[in-house]
Amino acid sequence: MPGDSNQARLADILSQCTSELLADLGARPERTEPRRQPPSTGQGIAAFSGFGNSELRGSFTLVGPSELFARLHPLPPTMTPRDLADWACELVNQSVGRFRNRLLAYGVNVALSVPQSALAERLRLSSSLRPAPAPIRFSIDDMVLEGWLELEMESGFRLAENPSAEQAVALREGSIVLF
Amino acid sequence: MSKKSVLIVDDSLTVRQQVMLALASAGYRILEACDGREGVDAVRSHTEIAMVLCDLNMPNMNGLEFLDTIKGDSAGLPVPVVMLTTDGSPDLIARAKRAGAKGWIVKPFQPDLLLAAVRRIAGDPS
Repeated sequence: MPGDSNQARLADILSQCTSELLADLGARPERTEPRRQPPSTGQGIAAFSGFGNSELRGSFTLVGPSELFARLHPLPPTMTPRDLADWACELVNQSVGRFRNRLLAYGVNVALSVPQSALAERLRLSSSLRPAPAPIRFSIDDMVLEGWLELEMESGFRLAENPSAEQAVALREGSIVLF
Repeated sequence: MSKKSVLIVDDSLTVRQQVMLALASAGYRILEACDGREGVDAVRSHTEIAMVLCDLNMPNMNGLEFLDTIKGDSAGLPVPVVMLTTDGSPDLIARAKRAGAKGWIVKPFQPDLLLAAVRRIAGDPS
């Protein structure tokens, strides 16, 4: 099914983007098997961002223990739960932002929503889609960060096999251009 | 002599804190706004602002709407704006340039490079 192939390749691109972002933050993320996780016993955070165009719509949610978001936070460790929820929003925003930038090379241009986050005890997500997509899981310092990608595609949507040199190239992360 | 002020417009507290950490230690005074609407209010009420760093994807008023609003605002017109965003789309960069932006930075930023860009646009802190 073309839709399944699109789904798998989009998930791979997003996974790569998230992995690069985590590495840029000084973590050493390892992809692990998408096994069902028991709910975290402590405080967890879920942050999500939506994206879409006329053919492709979706959302990406990052879920993990608050301790993990604190570990990834770029500033000195004086964080409140509000700080961590805000940081989780920025993390998912930067992950989906990279995804958006990479998709431009495939001729796919999506708009992003403003990210949102929530803190909760014993947090575990479930997908609204059936069959539910397997989460992308990263192991970082014995903690697990899950990424849930949900996609809806129009039947005519096809992701090109490879990025095209003819498509617009996005400015890379960390770039500065002054006019 | 008073310090030069830099306004950071971003809905992320973390990013505003990162910018403050990078620039305040170099001597700039930092003002903060959580979205474009607050940013417009800040530009109108703080005429001493030497430069604005502005996110793109924000609630209430996004970065391009912020640019368009202050471009049509005689009080805001002289203030240079550099966009600070996760987005690297050439179309959006071209659109921001047409709307009067003076630069584009793709997050995450390197603090020393951000400081160099601010010095280039706003001049030394005092």
